[in-house]
Amino acid sequence: MRKSILCYSALVGFMYAVYGLLQAYNGVATWFLGEGSSLQLGVKLFDAYIPNAFPDPFSGLALATTGLMFLSASYHGVRGFAKYKGYLFAAWLLSTVMLVLNVVELLASVLDAYYPLLYGGEPNYEWSLASDAWGIAPHLLLGILALPVYLDLKEFVEELLPGTR
Amino acid sequence: MIRVALAGNPNVGKSVIFNNLTGSRQRVGNWPGKTVEKKEGIARCNGEEIYVVDLPGTYSLTAYSIEELIARDYIVEERPDVVVVVVDASNLERNLYLVLQVLELGARVVVALNKMDLAEISNLRVDAEKLEKVLGVPVVPTVAPRRIGMEELCRRVLEASRAERPAIAVKYGREFEDAICRIAELVGVEESLRAYNARWLAIKLLEGDSAVVQRIESLPGGRRILREVGELRRALEEKYGDVELALVNERYRLIRHIVEEVVKGEKALKASDALDQALLDKYLGIPVFISILWIIFQFTFIASTPFSDILGDLFAVLSEKLAHVTGIAHVDYLLFGEYGVLNGIGAILSFMPLIMALYFAMSLLEDFGYMARAAFLMDRVMRKLGLTGRSIIPMILGFGCNIAGVYSTRIIPTEEDRIVTIVTNPLMLCSARLVAFAAIAAAFWGSAAGSVLLSLYILGILLAVLVALALKKTVFRGVESPFIIEMPPYQAPSLRVAVSYMWLRASLFFKKAGTVILLGLLVIGLLATTDSSTLSFTEDVEHSLVAELGRALQPLFSPLNWDWILVVSAIFGFVAKEIVIGATAMLYRVSEEELSEVLLLRYDPVTMYAYMVFVLAYVPCVATLAAVRHETLSWKWTLFTVLYEVLLAYTLGLLTLLVGRAVFPGV
Repeated sequence: MRKSILCYSALVGFMYAVYGLLQAYNGVATWFLGEGSSLQLGVKLFDAYIPNAFPDPFSGLALATTGLMFLSASYHGVRGFAKYKGYLFAAWLLSTVMLVLNVVELLASVLDAYYPLLYGGEPNYEWSLASDAWGIAPHLLLGILALPVYLDLKEFVEELLPGTR
Repeated sequence: MIRVALAGNPNVGKSVIFNNLTGSRQRVGNWPGKTVEKKEGIARCNGEEIYVVDLPGTYSLTAYSIEELIARDYIVEERPDVVVVVVDASNLERNLYLVLQVLELGARVVVALNKMDLAEISNLRVDAEKLEKVLGVPVVPTVAPRRIGMEELCRRVLEASRAERPAIAVKYGREFEDAICRIAELVGVEESLRAYNARWLAIKLLEGDSAVVQRIESLPGGRRILREVGELRRALEEKYGDVELALVNERYRLIRHIVEEVVKGEKALKASDALDQALLDKYLGIPVFISILWIIFQFTFIASTPFSDILGDLFAVLSEKLAHVTGIAHVDYLLFGEYGVLNGIGAILSFMPLIMALYFAMSLLEDFGYMARAAFLMDRVMRKLGLTGRSIIPMILGFGCNIAGVYSTRIIPTEEDRIVTIVTNPLMLCSARLVAFAAIAAAFWGSAAGSVLLSLYILGILLAVLVALALKKTVFRGVESPFIIEMPPYQAPSLRVAVSYMWLRASLFFKKAGTVILLGLLVIGLLATTDSSTLSFTEDVEHSLVAELGRALQPLFSPLNWDWILVVSAIFGFVAKEIVIGATAMLYRVSEEELSEVLLLRYDPVTMYAYMVFVLAYVPCVATLAAVRHETLSWKWTLFTVLYEVLLAYTLGLLTLLVGRAVFPGV
């Protein structure tokens, strides 16, 4: 169980790091070269990339850091250090919070576009996945991929935050 | 009435016990340093009234910091009937040091063995009865948040108040005891020192405690006593090295012995320690901290946007409906017209969801226990630069409000470090400036607004560090103070606490909007509707008093590319920083929603980023300046704060503009 979780954690960590670097690159490239200079590593569906590595260097830093935490967890776990669980939990927590952030962003964008309908007005703008600044970003997809890691963290969470498992 | 003092290390649950006993509602946070001043209240126990004082959290009773002095002076000078020392059962070794020091003062002590639940979770079994026997004072196990042990604590306090004062707690080695006895004899005969415990005075003199040495020095025979103390100290130093250190070691030797006796069972690596290793990692700690800040600002911005827009619409409708409500043209125009106060207030209040979202997220983070870790992480960086890590907590509090940040500098022991932290605190991006920046960032950077805001937060921290460094290298050269911070336990953040904190901050924001901000906008509104030549009512803002004022000052700011409206808005920001955005909306005659379009038409992103950099660094609001004056007790430092900030803001604004133009020529 532990071995497979550590392998899985390393894989997820690697993907986080790749998308983090991609977003950081896109952020800097857009600053200097303008829109259209971004690179994407995803599938194009309904005119939107999934995942959408939108240009934002800080977002890239957050993804890359999460990736490095996952990779550190695997490294310490393979060497038999108990502290790997701390790294794994920190990485899992960051990934889950960013997953939630992406969901909040999508909901907030839809609400912002269509709230005038609540009092019989016209929508502020037509929302679509392609027009959304984040869309389905790496935060959402990788966050879902990182969820199973929790299987190895149940006891750890019970000890750290009693009663929350 | 029985007088009881509550003492304890920071974050051991003293404030919760105080609230439980007195029924008051102090805010309790999961990080050290909440109680800097002493708080008072009345508790009722078995029909008797008890006067309770909550002393600031301290690790010891040396004279190194203000909170230690406040706590010590109260116990020594006021001589409360009982001192309840609250200790963390899950971390007994460190907490017992203070217990021993209070016992050395000769006080009647009751130990509240708090956080027993956390000790159990950590597989620690603390034998309260045995501890009571070893210490010779009552020990009551408690779990403060669940009110467990409160009645027993009250009962034991009443009993202790009628008991004799305890005997000596710590016995030092024979030579130390001889020296202590000799000094105690010397000070014991001094009439003016009768109120003090002679043994405690003797120990403090041996330790070279500056406050006690000064007290003795002021006595007629003081110099003679100090001479003899000096000789005894030298004799001990020759044999044992540093006397203070030797006494500390002796106390810890006793503490280790007590802990071995009363605490059983411990795990190899606790979950909290494992998580600490990850979050405080040498290389990844700071990137994790920045990532967490980025998540908070993105969440704040994203979650609040639709609600801010809804509020903006609401104010636009309200303005329209109230357009002719009084029937007096001038009043209607001033209050509800295009330059109307309602327009300005609406532009500010529509950002209330932003403030609420920010405090909601910060409360969750604080409750989880991350804030103290963030302070620890920053301390590493600060210390490398020769600065004190103690500045971190005021800096983090300054993110909410600079006034709170300035007042919290009381936790800093040395006056020099305190002044450095006070004068740099206004560089922290407070929630008032966030309101202005959020509007501008949303207009120019859309979905990347959260990242732009984060860059300004980081810039604020960097500026504060650089200014502090400059002061430490010039004015306050060579002054250093130690920084000890306790890592609070991790806990699941409480949604109820976060929501109530969010409402509290929202109501404060609302109150401020209804007082200071309203008044500021009313003044701007009056100036905007008063003709500069005839001093009569006018609808032509270009010929108003405010336009004259703005145009007179505008040449000073023309290198920064501002028009007179931005100049006036920035100047009135001195009253309260929220006014910057309200005044901008009023003077451009637009609602909060249309403000983005107007700014986009008139300015480019580089100019507006430079504007934000200026507003970040220029003069603090008037209330913060009052706090600076109050805490530094100096007009010189208050004036210094204003002057250096204006100069820094102008230089940085200009530099940002020039560098921005050079790097992004197409913008």
